[in-house]
Order: sequence, then C-alpha cells, then structure tokens
Amino acid sequence: MTALAETVLAEPQDRPKDRPSRRNDRERVRPSTFLWLSPATALLVGLFLIPTGYAIYLGFTNMELLGPYAQHFNFTGMANFNRMVHDPVFWTSVKLTLIFVIGSGIIAQTVLGLALALLGQRVHVTVRASVGAIVILAWVLPEIAVAFIWYAFSQAGGTLSDLVGKSGTDLLSTVPLLIVCVANTWRGTAFSMLILSAGLRSVPEEVDEAAQLEGASYWRRLFRVTLPIMRPTIMVNMLLITIGTISDFTLIYAMTQGGPGTETAILPVYMYIQAFTFNALGYGSAIALALVLIGALLSIVYIRQLRPELKRAQ
Amino acid sequence: MAKIVLEGVDKLFKGKPRPAVESLDLEVEDGEFLVMVGPSGCGKTTTLRMIAGFETPTHGVIRIGGKAMNNVLPKDRNLAMVFQNYALFPHMSVAKNLSFGMKARREPRAKINKDVETIASMLGIDSLLDRKPSELSGGERQRVALGRALLRRPEAFLMDEPLSNLDAALRVQMRLEIKRIHTQFPVTTVYVTHDQVEAMTMADRIALMNAGRLQQTAVPESIYDHPANAFVAGFIGTPKINFFTGTVVRDGGTPRVSFLECSCSVNGSAGAALEKLSSSTVTVGFRPEEIRVAPEGGGRLPTAKCVVEMVEPLGPETNVVARCGDQLFVCRTSARSGLEAGDAVTMEFDTSQMKLFDAESGGSLE
Amino acid sequence: MGTAVTAKEVGGETQGVEASQVADVPKGSLVRRTKRQRFILDGIIVLVGLAFILPMLWLLDAAFSNNASQAMSVPQLTFGNFKAAIAAGAGGAIKNSLYLAIVSTFIATVVSILAAYVLSRRRVPLKGAMLIVVLFLTGLPITLLLIPIYVMYVHLGWDNSPFYTSVALAATSVPFAIWLLKNFIDQVPREFEEAAAIEGAGGVRILWRIVIPLATPGIFVAAILTFINSWGAFLLPLVIDANPQNTPGALGIYEFMSANGRVQFGPLSAYAILFSLPVIVLYLISTRWLHGGFAFAGGVKG
Repeated sequence: MTALAETVLAEPQDRPKDRPSRRNDRERVRPSTFLWLSPATALLVGLFLIPTGYAIYLGFTNMELLGPYAQHFNFTGMANFNRMVHDPVFWTSVKLTLIFVIGSGIIAQTVLGLALALLGQRVHVTVRASVGAIVILAWVLPEIAVAFIWYAFSQAGGTLSDLVGKSGTDLLSTVPLLIVCVANTWRGTAFSMLILSAGLRSVPEEVDEAAQLEGASYWRRLFRVTLPIMRPTIMVNMLLITIGTISDFTLIYAMTQGGPGTETAILPVYMYIQAFTFNALGYGSAIALALVLIGALLSIVYIRQLRPELKRAQ
Repeated sequence: MAKIVLEGVDKLFKGKPRPAVESLDLEVEDGEFLVMVGPSGCGKTTTLRMIAGFETPTHGVIRIGGKAMNNVLPKDRNLAMVFQNYALFPHMSVAKNLSFGMKARREPRAKINKDVETIASMLGIDSLLDRKPSELSGGERQRVALGRALLRRPEAFLMDEPLSNLDAALRVQMRLEIKRIHTQFPVTTVYVTHDQVEAMTMADRIALMNAGRLQQTAVPESIYDHPANAFVAGFIGTPKINFFTGTVVRDGGTPRVSFLECSCSVNGSAGAALEKLSSSTVTVGFRPEEIRVAPEGGGRLPTAKCVVEMVEPLGPETNVVARCGDQLFVCRTSARSGLEAGDAVTMEFDTSQMKLFDAESGGSLE
Repeated sequence: MGTAVTAKEVGGETQGVEASQVADVPKGSLVRRTKRQRFILDGIIVLVGLAFILPMLWLLDAAFSNNASQAMSVPQLTFGNFKAAIAAGAGGAIKNSLYLAIVSTFIATVVSILAAYVLSRRRVPLKGAMLIVVLFLTGLPITLLLIPIYVMYVHLGWDNSPFYTSVALAATSVPFAIWLLKNFIDQVPREFEEAAAIEGAGGVRILWRIVIPLATPGIFVAAILTFINSWGAFLLPLVIDANPQNTPGALGIYEFMSANGRVQFGPLSAYAILFSLPVIVLYLISTRWLHGGFAFAGGVKG
C-alpha cells in the first residue's frame, strides 16, 4: 500500500498523541460577535427584561401616577395582591378575559378557521381564493378600523341590529361581550384558517384514502384520522391565539372602554383603567402580573399537549 | 371474491395531451393474481386507482363482481389496498390500525379482537401490537399494511408497488410471503409494479402497459416466449433482448431474413406474415441466452464474426457485450467464457427462438 | 351486459363507452354526485364570505355617502368625507404613523438581522439560554411592560418623543423578528460564506453582500410584520406620548370617534379607509412577492 493510502486509511487513534486532552477544535469567539449582538441585547434587556423586573417590583409598591406616591412610593408587600383577591371587579375581569380568550379566540377562531380550511379543500379554486381573500382582509385591517366598523355595525340602526331583527337596540350596550367577541373572531379567523389549511395539506393523502377503503365515513375520517394527525398544528395554533388575544387592548377599549360599566373590562383594559385613570400604578402592575400568570398557565396546557411531538423532534 | 372487469376504460387528465389510460379492456378472474407492470407513466397506477374509486374513468365501465362500480364511492366498494408508503395511521398503534376498519364497519368487539390476534400471529407481528408505525421497520410496516388489508375481507386486493420501499433482500422475502398469503387466501388481486422480476415471479397473469395502452395480457411464460410486440419483448427479460435490423428477401420460395452477416429462412406463420409484409425491413430479436459462442468448426446455426467489447462476470453466468459492424449486442453464456475485451469471436444465433417484429409498428409477426 | 357497446366492436378508431350508454349502469354518476356536492359546499363557503364582507361593505358605503349613518344606504360616491377626515387631522396622524412605523421597522430589522446572524452562525457563550429567552419574550404581553416603560420613559425624559416611541415599538417586535430570521438564516447553506471567507472577505462584507441578499425573503417578512404591528400601535403611544402633534393614526381615529358628541360616521369611515390603505397595499405586495405565501392556497382532493 502506498504511503498516501496508509495516511488516508489510518484510524483517528493512529494519529500521534501530541494533542492536549481537552477539545481545541472549538471555534473561537470573535469580538465582532459581541458588537453585533449588542444592539439587540440592549433593546431586549432595556425594554423587556428590566421592565419585567421593574413590573414585578412595582406590583409590591403603592406607586401612583400623580400625587404623593408618584415620587416617594413605599414598598407595600402583599397589599396590592390582597386588594386584588378581594376586588370583585378583578374577578369579573378574569372571567371576562377567559371568556374572551377561550370563547372568541380559541374555540370560535379554531372552529371557524378549520371549517374554512376543510371547505376550502373541496370547493372551486376561484371561490376558495375569493373567500380567502375576504377573510384575510378582515385580518389585515388595523385593529382600530375593526373596532370602528363593529361599533357602527352594532349600534341601534346599524346593519347587525337590522339583520338580527332588533333594529332599535344598541347591541353594543345590551350584549357588549358578545359583540366584542364576534368582532374579535371576525378579525382573527384568517390566522387559524391559514395555519390549519397548511396543516391539512401536510396530512398524507394516502392515509385518508386508506381510511376510505376501510369503509369509514367522512366524519369518522375527520375525527379519527385527519384531526388527530393534525394535533400538533392545532395545539400550536391555539397557543399562538392565546398569546395574541390575552393582551389585546385596542379592540375592546376603542369599542366600549371596558363598559358599559365593567361588562367588557378584560384584564388589559382593567389594568389600564386602574393605572392611568385611577392613578394606581402599583396596583395596575399587580393586575398585569396576574394577567401574565394566567397566560402562562394556559400556555403550559398546550405545551404539555405538544410534549410527545417535541420529544420526538429532538 | 370477485371478478374485476374493465371495459373500454379511458382516463384523460386536464392539461395533459395524452390520455393516462386509453381503451383499456381487462378481465381479472376470480381469485387470480394479476400483475400490472410497465414503465413509469404507463397508466398502471391510474388504472388501479380507478378500480379503487379514487379516480373516475372518463369513458368506460368498471365492474366488480358483475356490478358496475362507476358510481360507487371507494368506501362502498369492499376493496382493500396496500399503498406504496403503507399509509398506516401514524397516530395509532398497530392494533388500532388493524382494527380501524372493523370498528368503522361496527363489527362486535369480541370478533374484532379475535380476528386482529389471529391475523397478527399469522403475519408474525403479534409482538408489535402496541407499537406505533414510526417504531417499526419497513418490513414490519408492510406486514401491518397487509394485515389491515386481510382484515377487510375484501372482494379484491389492490396493491400499489408495495415492495418498492424495501431493500433487495427484504423484497425477495416479502414476495414469497405475499404469494404464500395468496395461496392461503385466494382473493382476486391486482398488483402494480414497475419491476418485471416481481411480475414474472408473482403473477398468474401479467398485464403489460405502456403509455396508457395495454400491450399484452398473458401468463408469464407466454409473455416471455411470445411477446406481442417489440416493446413487450424489450421490457421483459434481463438483460434486455437484442434487436437487429433485418432485411427481408423474397425470391419466390420460403422468405428469408438477413441480419448482420447471417441469413436464415423463416417458416410457418411468421413466414406467411413476411410474405404479406410490404416493407423489406423487419426488426429481429434475440434474447441474450439465444446467442452463443459458436462451437469449433461451426454448426447448423447462422453465425457472425464479432469483436468482444466487454465481459461482465456475474458469478454463475457471464454477459458478453460484442460488436458486429456497428451493432452492439449482449449474449449470455454460462460460467466462465475465457473471453476478454478485444477478442475476435464467432457467435451463433439460435434462430428457432428468433422473434420478428414489424419495423414500424413493432407488432409481432408470429 | 345487454346492449353494451364495447370498444372492440366499434371498427377503426377505438371509442370509449359512455357510462350512460351501458344498460345496467345505474343513473347518477359518481362524478355528477361529487360535482353537486361541490356546488353545495361552494354555496356554504360563499355564505361565510358574505358574512365576512358585510361590515367592510358598510365601511365603503359610509365613506362615500353624504350624511352617512350606521345603516347601509346607497352611496353617492362623494369625496366629502375624505376631505372632512383630513380636516380633522387624518393627514397629520397618518404622517405620524408613517414615521413610527418606518423608524421602528428600520431599527428592529437592523438589530434583528445582526443578532440573528450571530446566533445562527457564530459561537456565542450561553447561546442556548439566549435563544430560550428570546423565544419566551415573543410570548410576553406588552401589558406587563407598559407601566414600567412609562415610568422609565418619564424618568429619562423620553416621553412625548416619536423617536423613542419608535424605539419602544421596535423592541416589541424584535424577539419574534430574531427568531424568524435566525431560523431563516439557518436554512441558507454555509458554503457561500465559506467561499467568500476564503476569498478574503471580512465579516461585515460577508453579511452585507452574501447573507442578506440570500435571506431577503425572510427579512422582508420580518420587516413587513414589524411595520404592520407598529402601524396600528395604539396602547403604547396612548401611554407614553401625550403630545397631540405626535398622535398616530390609530389614536387619531379613536379621538375622533369620541369627540364632538355625535359620531360622524362618514368622515370616520373615510379616515379608517385612509388609515387602512397602506397596510392593505403592503399585504398585497408581500403576497405577490412571496408567491402567495400568505395566500389561502389549498390542495384540492383527488
């Protein structure tokens, strides 16, 4: 064998042992790395991490917007949280938030989005494209525009009131939560529709054909084969909807300012009212913390559902 | 169990100029194992999908068990299909995959459990019942797919290239297993493949297709010995049949064909066909095993002087690629030939097996 | 088979047999049944589409009608409402929104590209931890950050400044942009950068001339999403910028809604349409650019 061949064929352990025992094949850290990372780090630390810490701190104080406690506020321990637990408006707000997020977000948008995705597979191309464009347009509109449109739509004399047969009633005052939920669903469905239709396309056709040959009806195939295969997509969709909806402020504030009374005061709106209308920055922070906690709890539910898929992807 | 009949079936797809399937007439007898074979794009998978009901014929009728099926949904046709990628439900265990169909047809639970166990042990997958498809090997997934098909108790089996995703050794093993199952459960089977070895070894009858048209339907031996046209002759048989340009010589007596340096007379029906032929060229076909090194001193068979281009030893046989003039051909000899590239050699042609084809249409002149 | 005409019997050209010609094939072909099904489904989805488009039709109707009200009526196709909207401040507000959106998008995109590239290609201490933090930050509601940022901004004197508002808006989009761009850059083959490095190109040149051009679709998406996000900004400007000259479009519409007693549906509709147009145009451009990446592309069965 030639010397070259021997070199090429030599096993790694045949190489001379003059290498130090620790790995020295790792890349060096280049100085420009830190430079390039610094703006992002500055922004994220300065406008995310520090504010988060500060928010947590503020939750335990009695800082206020104006007045004596604006400059010299005190650490008040659990006072804000105590107040929160005993505040009936807070608990109403929690309930409203859950209804808003779960009802008009998770349930309504997922079901409607799924229905559109399923229908979209079986209708003519032009129909699918046109309806799709309309639904997506509702999503692209700025939130304030959506708020205004639905405000007008649900007024006394507005088109929605006419359609429902109650022309004279101001639906926004009589069933505010419902209207706000409908507006939110109208706005958000496109997102689910896009994600779920991509998920549908990823189900191999052969699997559905196999189920057809087994004699399974359409609904059995949908619920026992197609949807279970799509489960990760559905879970991710729900997670994203939750994250997006739970801190939604503009839509409701612009339409009802949380009212009438507190009938639509979801947590973000309630927090704003407490902090900037009633001056209680500390208490407002506490409410915000509660909001984040609820969001985190909901997210954990989905992430646990996704765990088997995540494990397999590793 | 049922007879499958396709009458005058056409399938045209939008935007494609050539029909995927054209004027297909095919009968699969009750209990027969029919293999549809042909190159990619020949229409065999489209035909299978039409039988299953996933495509609708543009023209023509498909009957299963005597009943016309054109209007019947796949789920009501009582067929079972093994897909190329097995199409196992990825989120269900093997047991659930097997029992899915019976549950969908609302059969009693005790029967489902018993049947699943029986089939699973018959196919050797009973230890895998709780696993998911992603945890199984290719061969194991294949068997689950077969098991699911068997549990369907169908009128016919449809198989779409079920062995293409397996490695060579496994493929040979599964070929035997599928045939064995077919002997045990003689259900009408339509089996699609592009592999002519699978076709030859597994089929009761072969249906060979090309470019949407059925070329020949016959038992394997007939397809091999009496191909209906040049395409069939070229598709079946490895190494491929050798084609030569032949000139027809008609001088009153028995017509003769000359090719390379040989000339031989043609008798019988082929001779009669040659008489009727207007053109003076034909295509002559010899399979590699029909060309041999001529024995010393020559023989009674026509010979030609050639030069060896390449020798491919295959173990028990040797392929010799030789050139005569500007024509290259392959001949198969047993064992070691002792030939090397560049040798001059005389080859003899076994004209008793010679196949003649119309030079233009490719049709056989037998 | 009765009187079936088979292909063989027809001389010369082979012709297929129409299913309806064959005697014992039952009526109601599978194809026709599926076609009928399709039309019914068409109808259902069209109904849904109509339900969705109705509110938008009202908006168009009101914007072009004199004396528009919350009811639908035949529009006179006047532009008076648009003039009124501009008189009410729509022009200025939209200019402000443009400033906020452009500056914040610029900041966010530059910052995110740099960070994403480094996180994708370079060795970074604690990279894993950083990526997890970035991922979590994408899900953090700004409601939590609102009060602290307000307090900080007032303290630093950064309130009532369009620039610093843009910085805050940029920050809210950065985590998602980093995550998106990093995943995108991960997919770009490294061979190009390695080839450039062998040719003697330095880090900046490689980034500018090679990575960014190759990552353009991803950058485009991140920039558009940031723009759309900042364009509709409501809460943040509401809180940290009280200067009426800096009011962006979303706030402007809201103030117009709650001003002057009776809601002026006509001018407000025009205002809303003016405010929505840029975003709609952006969306159309991006779908064409990305070959329908956002479009509702489906696969029809069978």
